[in-house]
Amino acid sequence: MRHDFLDRYSRLKSPVHRLHTAVKLATAICVIVAMVAVPFSSAWFFVVAAGLLLIVSALSAIPWSFIFKRLLLLEPLALGIAVMALFQPNGTMIFLSIVTKSTLCLFTVILLSNTTPFGELLGVLSRIGVPRILITILALMYRYLFVLIDEGERLARARMSRTFSANRVRRWQALASLIGQLFVRSTERAERIYAAMTARGWK
Amino acid sequence: MEMTPAISVRNLKFCYPDGKEALRGVSFEIADKECVGLVGPNGSGKSTLLLHLNGILPESFPGVPAVSIYGKDLSRTTAPDIRRAVGLLFQDPDDQLFCPTVFEDVAFGPQQFGLSEEEIRKTVSYALEQTSLTGSEHRSPHHLSSGEKRRVCLAGVLACEPQVLALDEPTSNLDPRGKRQLITTLQSIPATKLIATHDLEMVVQLCSRTILLDRGTIVADGPTHILLGDEQLMLAHGLEKPHILRHLHPH
Amino acid sequence: MHIPDGFLDAKTAGATAAFSLVGLGLSLRHASRYLPARKIPLIGLAAAFVFVAQMLNFPVASGTSGHLLGATLAAVMLGPSAAIIVMSTVLIVQALLFADGGILSLGANVFNMAIVGPMAGYGSYRLMRVVFRGEYGRLVAVGVASWFSTVVAAIFCAGELAWSGTVPWNSAFPAMAGVHMATGLGEATITMLVIASIARARPELLNDSNPAASLRERSTGFVLVALLVIGLLLLVAPHASNLPDGLEKVASSLGFEHRALTNPNVSAPLEAYKLPGTASTSAATIVAGLIGAIAVLALSMVLARVLVPRNRAVPPQQREGTV
Repeated sequence: MRHDFLDRYSRLKSPVHRLHTAVKLATAICVIVAMVAVPFSSAWFFVVAAGLLLIVSALSAIPWSFIFKRLLLLEPLALGIAVMALFQPNGTMIFLSIVTKSTLCLFTVILLSNTTPFGELLGVLSRIGVPRILITILALMYRYLFVLIDEGERLARARMSRTFSANRVRRWQALASLIGQLFVRSTERAERIYAAMTARGWK
Repeated sequence: MEMTPAISVRNLKFCYPDGKEALRGVSFEIADKECVGLVGPNGSGKSTLLLHLNGILPESFPGVPAVSIYGKDLSRTTAPDIRRAVGLLFQDPDDQLFCPTVFEDVAFGPQQFGLSEEEIRKTVSYALEQTSLTGSEHRSPHHLSSGEKRRVCLAGVLACEPQVLALDEPTSNLDPRGKRQLITTLQSIPATKLIATHDLEMVVQLCSRTILLDRGTIVADGPTHILLGDEQLMLAHGLEKPHILRHLHPH
Repeated sequence: MHIPDGFLDAKTAGATAAFSLVGLGLSLRHASRYLPARKIPLIGLAAAFVFVAQMLNFPVASGTSGHLLGATLAAVMLGPSAAIIVMSTVLIVQALLFADGGILSLGANVFNMAIVGPMAGYGSYRLMRVVFRGEYGRLVAVGVASWFSTVVAAIFCAGELAWSGTVPWNSAFPAMAGVHMATGLGEATITMLVIASIARARPELLNDSNPAASLRERSTGFVLVALLVIGLLLLVAPHASNLPDGLEKVASSLGFEHRALTNPNVSAPLEAYKLPGTASTSAATIVAGLIGAIAVLALSMVLARVLVPRNRAVPPQQREGTV
């Protein structure tokens, strides 16, 4: 179950995990709003915030290496856009400000998503008024993500055992063909899921 | 005294949109609480037949109703009620397990039928008990093994409290222990059962009667040990006499 | 081009969130009213599919790889309003579960990649289909539309960064548009290859027969287009005033060096970092874009011809991967 990476830590037992989902979501949003709103000149705020996030992170029992790797994965994009900010009056300050703020916000969301099962997040979202149809679609998407990843892996492995050239053109064709196959299978599975949902009374 | 048959199928015909004939005039009756095996080679129409029992097929109903469940004719208007009475277990558990947690999935049926929260909780617990899954309420489907997924699907169907169970290849992809568990569970459920399967050993264990389907028509319909024990018949229709019966004295 | 948190100011995040709410809300309402129930699992699965497709690495140069965005693919396969829902779902899950794209900037990301993307892609696809017919034409249209939708989405992204004051337009626009003109090539190629492979395996999934849209569908479409236009006016048009100047400079680039008008209050060391002739880079980008579009059209036609040779109709081959 290598696709665990999506969900590996959301069910640990820690004080943070045990907090009610609505509390965690609301807190995360408030933290992010504050990060963006508070001017960078109040540096103390960001130091305190970083400290608090580190404490929460320690309490959450999520391995540091995991958090670090996630941050590392997402930073390059932020840095890429931030670099463009350098080319303007006061650019260096702006650069530092947005890099700090976005990193702390990233940290917050990583903590949120890894201490909360997605199903519960959806529950909170539906209670605050997100349309039922969107919740259904989000739930289905999340559920079948793992199924499709598995299916994609199987198709890729089958294909790899028949591919002998490392030719880049061939690889692109092979990948595109894989995507096509995956799409066709997804539409077929969607029909079967509809039948299963109808069989238990869905309208 | 005539009892209303649980399932009554009269001259059922079905063609797929591409013209392929899947069912060519199938007729049979199944009595209340009977357990019947439905066997046949690949492509014989077993799955298609099962999909007709709760109205998923056909997409538009013909004038003359071909299927009745406990005397009620299956039509567009009666389909929703009949779906409560007929529980269909699909071939691929992933197709049927579409909610984020075990509890939500098993609760899906009762929720659609409008039960109260309290009733839902009771029904779900009972269904999980029947399938030996108590305690798994909060697990996610992708963390379950093949056998566990099958049992959750069964629980989800049982939670609808159906009078008829139609199962499509329930033991496929199960290891021997999973199979044993499933067979034991099925034995303890009092509903009328129609089981489409390649697992002839299971049919011998569970079903007193077997229907042999090939290319959309019923070729044979009779007591399991006679039908499955007929070596020539089995071979003629792409099947094999099951090992369990090989040691029995031939009739 | 997922914008993280902290890059947009309140007004930009708010405005784009409002646009996205309207756009997504309309699509959802359209779906719940006019979409048959059997299509809903399809939308959920399509979203999972796009997510997985986005994860695949297409090797480019040593070390780097490209990825599919899928906005145009979704729009061509499922129709624009379904595509809006599919792409929005992908972005929501990416933001909540992966921190790929910020929470407060989700509105902007949805607007760019889930609304502007599919609509620009679908619109340009349909326009091109008027001219380019048949299987060959479909691939050409898909190629150009995919490139176009990527570039347009990037332009809106640049507009949002500029309006927030995070990155000046004269850096953001050339950079974002330029980079995405290149990545758009990848998007075009991949999308064309995927559509070609689906056309071979299951041609019936690609039906171009679009009966004249009902009045209700048209009105939803109109509002969505209006959203796009307002967005354009708000985010991009204000910078157009630099254009006449810029164009002039591009035209007279031979000869003496022009220094862009600088803010006299800027601190001296930063002068050295300023891109020379920044006002003209926007114009240069637009010129490059036009040239790029023509190049993409030509390349699409070549690739499409390779995939659908002229002298024989592609026979429906055996379904790939089925037993």
